[in-house]
Amino acid sequence: MKPHARRTTARSLVAVGLAASLALAAGCAKSEDDASDTSKDSGKSQDAGQEVAEGGSGKTCAIGDYGAKKLDLKKATVGFSQSEKEANPFRIAETASIKDEAKKRGVKLLTANAQSKPDKQISDVQDLISKGADLLVIAPLNSDGWDPVIKSASAKKIPIVTIDRKINATACKDYVSFIGSDFTEQGKRAADQMIEATGGKGEVAILLGAPGNNVTTERTKGFTDRVKEKAPGLKVVFKQTGEFVREKGQSVTEQLIQSKPDISAIYAENDEMGLGAVNALKGAGKKAGDVKIVTVDGTKDAVEGIVDGWISGVVESNPRFGPLAFKTLDEFTQGKPVGQDIVIKDTEYNKDNAEAGLSKAY
Amino acid sequence: MTDLALGKSLPADRAQLMRWLQDYGVYAGVTALLLFNVVFTENFVSGENFRTQAVQVAPVLIVALGMALAIGSEGVDLSVGSVMALATSLVSLYLGYGPWLALIAAIIGGMVCGLLSGSLIAYIGVQPIVATLALMVGCRGLANVFLPQLETVRDDTMATLGTGDILGIPYLALIAAALAALVAFTVKRTTFGRQLLAIGDSRPAAQLAGLPVRRVLIMVYVCSGALAAIAGFLATARLQASDPTSLGNLMELSAITAVVVGGTPLSGGRVRIGGTVAGAILIQLLTATLIKHDLPSSATQIAQAVVIVLAVYAARERGKQ
Repeated sequence: MKPHARRTTARSLVAVGLAASLALAAGCAKSEDDASDTSKDSGKSQDAGQEVAEGGSGKTCAIGDYGAKKLDLKKATVGFSQSEKEANPFRIAETASIKDEAKKRGVKLLTANAQSKPDKQISDVQDLISKGADLLVIAPLNSDGWDPVIKSASAKKIPIVTIDRKINATACKDYVSFIGSDFTEQGKRAADQMIEATGGKGEVAILLGAPGNNVTTERTKGFTDRVKEKAPGLKVVFKQTGEFVREKGQSVTEQLIQSKPDISAIYAENDEMGLGAVNALKGAGKKAGDVKIVTVDGTKDAVEGIVDGWISGVVESNPRFGPLAFKTLDEFTQGKPVGQDIVIKDTEYNKDNAEAGLSKAY
Repeated sequence: MTDLALGKSLPADRAQLMRWLQDYGVYAGVTALLLFNVVFTENFVSGENFRTQAVQVAPVLIVALGMALAIGSEGVDLSVGSVMALATSLVSLYLGYGPWLALIAAIIGGMVCGLLSGSLIAYIGVQPIVATLALMVGCRGLANVFLPQLETVRDDTMATLGTGDILGIPYLALIAAALAALVAFTVKRTTFGRQLLAIGDSRPAAQLAGLPVRRVLIMVYVCSGALAAIAGFLATARLQASDPTSLGNLMELSAITAVVVGGTPLSGGRVRIGGTVAGAILIQLLTATLIKHDLPSSATQIAQAVVIVLAVYAARERGKQ
């Protein structure tokens, strides 16, 4: 082959490749807009923010203790650092809720997304600070590794509120407060629903979340503790991870119903795995209600599953942190004491309220 | 010892043993696991159970076929999992025009990815591992742009395809078997197959012999992309949802394992489709066994690692000869 001819073909091929990728990229631009539109809509359709539940440490934090200065939230800039890509209903609803509340209050909001990378989240937060954020709302990916952020934030006395996950640091010194659900409590309430659905008897399988995740550990502990305590007739006979993913939940359940056809119930530690289990049961020719399913999260698909009769109950994990996060920051910057540990009230769905609750599900 | 079942090819000395292990070890492994399950696993011997295993193995197997071609050409395709994700997002975008058009869109998407990585490898001289790594990252991102989150797929044709069967054999298994036969035929009986093996054996020699090295290499990755896209389409049909974020995660590892365990050497020049099929089944049975006996998922990973190490060890011993 002549070298010249070879180069020409090489070039034309690369050109074809580039053209193809450009065409693809042009295609995306549009669908990306569409996507953000729909997520805004889903943000609007939700009316209910969160309510504070009893519990938490009861300790409060005032502005003097933290060493920050009073300011007017309306004139402040708030930085929001999200941990994961807005690719699941929880994260979509969470980010939308923060954005909506900022808009409603007329607060300038800077946002960043760490795309599930811990080191990126640290630099995201540092960027937000250097871009002039006076206050920070952080949805932490991990509980650990926050020292560098805390150093740069506390040098400037920037108040931090963490949502949905805690960071390992001292409240009211390194950050102001934590707002989130009690995952152990969610597990307990799932157990209560399960006991009601099964009458406290039979064999139950657990679809665990991602291994090594505190949400998985706490939702498992809450569930098994409560079952042991209240319904010793209900035996946990199977525990396998579905990694919080629908496909894995389906594959594992398919194996489960082959080897244990008499299984009476499945506790899925998130909705996605529960919906995978529903697919598997349908595939195996079971009917709705043959195997009782209880899940945690409260997404639309799962609440619809209750309406269809496939899912017995869903414990909600409320992602709408916007109103409560901004209320906390507002009160704190006005000089009022705020709770250090704010535990939110999660509702739950069952066959009595599922149809009515469908509009509230995210 | 299940090895005795294949007594006629039982080896005499160590080097022969390794050779035998690479060629037939995977079949012995599958037989051993089947026997173990028949004896120790509740309700293992039932049509329904075999159907479940066949349906679950189908997407991995189809991806592994493309991977076998890439490895046979002394390359590797790391982008397969992300191409599945891209395919599922395209299916969701184009399903409005009917499932077959959605399938075609997905396959074209997969072929374009293969064209890109193949061109990088054949013309720019980028290492396959690097070129396909770039595509692996890029395609996953693109999939998430096309479809930001999981979307339920409501289509009767796809539902039938994903869950239905003919005479008790699931469509998914039939399609996987047909594709395996097609790829086996391509490797054994076509000019393309022979050229691929020659290139995998020695690229400089193939070049000197005047073989169209670049065109063949690009074809290899286009085929791998198309097969991954078909797997993505079928996985979507099975799940009845498009999940661009997690579909195909770590699929490249399962596929490489199936190929290597099946006796295709990483050094290229040889493609064993029968072994690849058995390799995919071996991994499926291993996972199923551990799940059915309710062992932690870390056990599955460790078991897979042991199988890979054994396979690579057998291949290395053979290389020494």
